[in-house]
Amino acid sequence: MTTRKLPLEVSAGRSRLLEVDGLVMRYDTEAGEVSAVENVTFSLGRGEAMGLVGESGCGKTSVALSLLRLAPDNARYQSGSILWEGVDLLELSDQKMREYRWAEISMVFQGAMNAWNPVYRVGEQIREAMDQHFDPPLNKSEKDQRVDSLFQLVGLDPALQTRYPHELSGGMRQRAVIAMALSCEPKLIIADEPTTALDVIVQAQILEELKEIQEDLGLSILYISHDMAVIAQVTETIGVMYAGKLVEFGSTREVFHRPRHPYSYLLLSSIPSVTGPRRRPVSLEGTPPNLLAPPAGCRFHPRCPWATEQCRTEEPPMMEIGPSQWAACWNSEQVPEMGEQLP
Amino acid sequence: MIRYVTRRLIQMVFLFLVFLTVTWFLLYILPGDSVALKYAGNPNIPPQAREVAMERLGLDKPVLIQFRDYMFNFFQGDLGVSFNQYPRPVVDIIAERLPRTLVLFLAALVTYYWAGFVAGKYLAWRRGNRGEMLITVSGVGLYSMFLPFFALMLIWLFSVQLGLLPLSKFLDPEQWRDAPFMANQVFMRLFWVTLAGGIAMFGASFFALRTRSRRLERGLKWGGFVLAAVWILFYWWGTESGQAMRVYAGDIGFHMILPVLTLTLIAFAGVMLLTRSSMLETLREDYILTARAKGLPEGMVRDRHAARTALLPVVTSLVLAVATVIDGGVITEAVFSWPGMGEILISSVLSEDIPVAVGAFSFIGIMALVGHFVVDVLYGLLDPRIRVTEHG
Repeated sequence: MTTRKLPLEVSAGRSRLLEVDGLVMRYDTEAGEVSAVENVTFSLGRGEAMGLVGESGCGKTSVALSLLRLAPDNARYQSGSILWEGVDLLELSDQKMREYRWAEISMVFQGAMNAWNPVYRVGEQIREAMDQHFDPPLNKSEKDQRVDSLFQLVGLDPALQTRYPHELSGGMRQRAVIAMALSCEPKLIIADEPTTALDVIVQAQILEELKEIQEDLGLSILYISHDMAVIAQVTETIGVMYAGKLVEFGSTREVFHRPRHPYSYLLLSSIPSVTGPRRRPVSLEGTPPNLLAPPAGCRFHPRCPWATEQCRTEEPPMMEIGPSQWAACWNSEQVPEMGEQLP
Repeated sequence: MIRYVTRRLIQMVFLFLVFLTVTWFLLYILPGDSVALKYAGNPNIPPQAREVAMERLGLDKPVLIQFRDYMFNFFQGDLGVSFNQYPRPVVDIIAERLPRTLVLFLAALVTYYWAGFVAGKYLAWRRGNRGEMLITVSGVGLYSMFLPFFALMLIWLFSVQLGLLPLSKFLDPEQWRDAPFMANQVFMRLFWVTLAGGIAMFGASFFALRTRSRRLERGLKWGGFVLAAVWILFYWWGTESGQAMRVYAGDIGFHMILPVLTLTLIAFAGVMLLTRSSMLETLREDYILTARAKGLPEGMVRDRHAARTALLPVVTSLVLAVATVIDGGVITEAVFSWPGMGEILISSVLSEDIPVAVGAFSFIGIMALVGHFVVDVLYGLLDPRIRVTEHG
């Protein structure tokens, strides 16, 4: 497709852990081909916290699952690569991929309430992962010790490991899921909506703790959320996805304060601000396009208040805007100014 | 747990009393009576003889007295005597019939549940390949088959055309002419020996589910299987009593093949579809994705995470199946001329042999209640969410 190699790295200087380059993934369905991930390129450094935001169905979970190669059976990778420390994960054998899972990349799933199998004890399910990934295998007391210290790390009483999932509260379960994600010393944790189902106070606590753990252990974390506010608190880098495409990428600070893609701009303006100047939240009209037949040109143009003729016909590439900011919009220079003129 | 079991046992006794009462009265209000059936058409019987017969059977007493006497005797282990085979005790008749039914239908139940569960598990796992369609369609086709017709077709094919299997009955009289055993002794021996093997196998697979090493799990599963096989072989070939009975047990086993096959073919699709849908539901759960993400081998995800949880509704349906063992049995036994409980159920009701009928029904009731109880306990073992706690 394209040979242009965009570096798209915010944390320059840090060694690259993950480089996703031009990833194209489609789902084969009876109704046709769904273009779920379209030419997504980004990279993630060691110890970096990155966020992917976007509405439901914009492809963020598809990207996340691709990193573990856990996308549903009808997913097809058409081009692109996912380099993990230089190794293309899409080329690995199933057996080899299995060894990478959890030991290199682990995941905290969306709705982690259901991440536990109801019929096994919590500790048992953590040990099950450890049994797969240590060479030489850990013996029983080593495993016990590990589970104990993991539980302490996430602020849980180690005695809880003999409980069944239904015997724990939502927050406890979520903490235990994080302990499980850490159990095989991964370098990257993908946190897919890690706090969605929790109440606000527990949500804040868990995000705080996750951030501390990340900094203490030097982990990379890829947060996935529809909630920009959550992402902004805990990440250094942010990627905004719309309809399967990455439309803006850059340091969280830049993107949050000076969004350059109309979609990011509107997404941010739809959150009422408590401390900033008083203004009416802007609503983002319409719904994301049907990915069976995505619109020509810029995929956002049907909903974009500033769409021009060029937007309807020509697809904007990712363009460098600042030292650590990229956006795929023909009019990215004017986005903040145009935003001021909105009613 | 103890409190729960005690409570359940008390409930069971109460429920059984209700069941027995209803059954007794239902059969009592049948029009006519055994004596009338036998003698009414015969003009040579004087009315006095008829009265003597009524008195001898106790049918002249008021209904409540009859009922009271029956209940008192029942709980002392006396189920009365048969009207038709007077004065043979009902207990005696049931003791003769029950083992035959039990052995045949438990064998069929285990076979078709096992076949259905395994088939359903693989159908859900390998969803969307060509074999799935074939198995599902043929399974459902067989499931909707009318049992007597299908049984006759199989008899025609295997016994008449191919001559491979016996036509009917549960043993070959020629072989048994000088047999030193009663057929029932052999049945009971078959039952206990197979049960012991089955328990060993079940125990091994139960522990297999609790290990985390795939290799140990497989080892335990196969180990249990081999242990059961070795035990059964050892019993029939290695011990003296086993050696003596082997030929006769083999003959019974040979006669069981066709009925078990018929029941399995007809019934496995129900279990298969249930397992399949339950497993498909489980496969959509997040914890399956988690298990995969943890890097567990596919077989482990399938057996330990998906199938293990999908098992729960299948176990529930086993309760219902325990009852069908008896009622489906009535027809099956008739087609295969298998002289078990089903056969006496029909004949005793038709000839108004009330003590035998009530006795037979009461055993069905007991089996259904015990089945429910066993499944409840099993369910508690399988699903920690409904495990009974001391304060519950």
